[in-house]
Amino acid sequence: MDIRQKVRQFLSSTSGGKLIFEHESKQFLRELGAGAPKGVFVPRGDPLPSAVDELRYPLVAKVASSRLSSKSDAGGIKLNISNREELLRAVAGLMQIEHAEGVLAEEMVPPGFEVIVGGALDADFGPIVMYGLGGIFVEVFQDISFALAPVDEKQALWLINETKGKQILRGVRGRPPLDVNALARIIGIVSQLITTGFFEEIDLNPVVLFPDKAVVLDAKIKIR
Amino acid sequence: MTTKKYLESLFCPGSVAVVGATESPGKLGGIVLTNLLGVKGRLYPVNPAYREVMGLRAYASIREIPGAVDLSIIIRPAAEVPELLRQHAGKARFALIVSAGFAEVGEAALQEELVKAGRESGVRLVGPNCLGIYNPRHRLDTMFLPHACLKRPGKGNVAIVSQSGAIMICLLETIGRSGTGVSKVFNYGNAADIDAPEVYDYLAEDAETSVVVSYLESIGDGRKFIGAARRLADKKRLIVLRAGKGAGGQAAAFSHTGRLAGRYEVFHSILREYGIMEAPDYDSLMDAAKALSFQSISTGKRLCIITNGGGSGVLASDECMKHGLELVPLPEKSSCELRSVFPPFYAIKNPIDLTGQVRTDDYRVALRAVRDHYDGFVVIALTGVAGVTVGLADILKEFRAESGKPVAVHIAQGGIAPRLCGLLEKAKIPVYPSPERAVRGMAVLLGNGGQKHE
Repeated sequence: MDIRQKVRQFLSSTSGGKLIFEHESKQFLRELGAGAPKGVFVPRGDPLPSAVDELRYPLVAKVASSRLSSKSDAGGIKLNISNREELLRAVAGLMQIEHAEGVLAEEMVPPGFEVIVGGALDADFGPIVMYGLGGIFVEVFQDISFALAPVDEKQALWLINETKGKQILRGVRGRPPLDVNALARIIGIVSQLITTGFFEEIDLNPVVLFPDKAVVLDAKIKIR
Repeated sequence: MTTKKYLESLFCPGSVAVVGATESPGKLGGIVLTNLLGVKGRLYPVNPAYREVMGLRAYASIREIPGAVDLSIIIRPAAEVPELLRQHAGKARFALIVSAGFAEVGEAALQEELVKAGRESGVRLVGPNCLGIYNPRHRLDTMFLPHACLKRPGKGNVAIVSQSGAIMICLLETIGRSGTGVSKVFNYGNAADIDAPEVYDYLAEDAETSVVVSYLESIGDGRKFIGAARRLADKKRLIVLRAGKGAGGQAAAFSHTGRLAGRYEVFHSILREYGIMEAPDYDSLMDAAKALSFQSISTGKRLCIITNGGGSGVLASDECMKHGLELVPLPEKSSCELRSVFPPFYAIKNPIDLTGQVRTDDYRVALRAVRDHYDGFVVIALTGVAGVTVGLADILKEFRAESGKPVAVHIAQGGIAPRLCGLLEKAKIPVYPSPERAVRGMAVLLGNGGQKHE
């Protein structure tokens, strides 16, 4: 199945509006070969599904809403949930948030190096893919670079090497090198998705890098 | 028909009409006709008010001209142009619309009407709102600027593709002064029809062009632009200067990517992705154009600086770091050789400092000693000291001929400096007004054209 068919199938299964729910986006990215934390979606009004018991604590719980632009600004993220009771309390609390449509409970990812991968439609160039340092760095250093989408793995590696942060990825001062190939794979996937023309914006922010993997921690995808 | 063949009759037309030609030397129609009097090809003034203009038979309309017209230059008020253009159907291939008063002043509807008239008449358009074309080999000059105000550069190998007429004039003046000449010059204003990519494809095949300098404000279809720029950069040296670096972007987007889409940063990245050389500013564009028009690109990154002023050498060294040029130390053999012939107070390292007590011939000795160990050479000569003579020009010329390696020069400032600069540039050795600019000129010649690809 080519990427356009996969996207069509995926879009027919999504439940929200223009902004796709995080758990659906992540599930789709996982199917395409990107790493994302294991999680379970709890729809508003439903009891905790049994699948929650297969998750490994600590967990993080995030409010899901197609009308909220920033989960953290709305107090919609609860971290370090260490058992079922805490999870129940966190889910109940998050459901109280205005426009909450559910809660995503996920295995918590340990701290790592944060980067951003994005896709957008440029007025001049059409589909483009962006890579840059994430977290506070994106604001301060603007260490980002763009390429025409789609990119293959080699072009994705070029894009990564265009930023100053490449030195950190290679491992500095005794830190181990990070999984650049997994990152390149994610960049490739985003570039293919934006090229299909079905999406207006894709924002994987952050993607967390480890020596042996890259994990999409948050995913916002907007349908065109 | 290929672009090359098709646009040939735009840049080298066999017949040219000037719609709005007048006898009056103060009016645009008079200036353009005056400048076209020498054109290689038939010239037809079109103006219903005259039977004759400047000794040429005038025609009441384009239709009355016998035979086909390759290029019609229209200098009439904007509102009249669409109707005039319709009269070109079946008569002219290209219409170059000098007139302003279209999209650039908010008259988008009039410009659309113009484009429609062109399409329906089968006439390709240049402009509107442009100076048009200068091709010295064909003596084609559509610019409405009297020669007394703008001295035209002679024939050379640099092509200019500029969206702005003002910047094109500045580029022509700078190129004229630098002793370089031009091949084809193209200013396309509002780009209603023919745009930079089409001209890039033409220039890629143009035997007279080896360097293309391009000033852009908008790029239209970015993929088309990149495609043509890549094809051109494969065959010629293309240097792009993009203005409007703060424009664009979508404030409403939720992601960083979305907010930056349409902005200069995207253009910059994509140019780097495809190895297309970009100048950060006007001076760099001109400095690069001069170096590239005189000398060819060379591989390697090892640079040797030979100076007679310590400070100038240090500034040049600092600039090397920014461009990834390697100021590797002199090989032991060269050092020994130079130490045995030079006074003990000369600094025998890289930069080689021949000091204020330099004699012209020392440059020859130093260059010979290091010739085989470096990829390029920056020579600095401060003419304020007695020992520097115009003989330096011959030394560098000979060195260029025997080594085949790129040389860029900084000469400062008084005494014989202007004469020396003239002699050097005649010998196709680029001279720059500062040590840093000489290094930047060298940087575009060395190591993949100064692009820091890995």
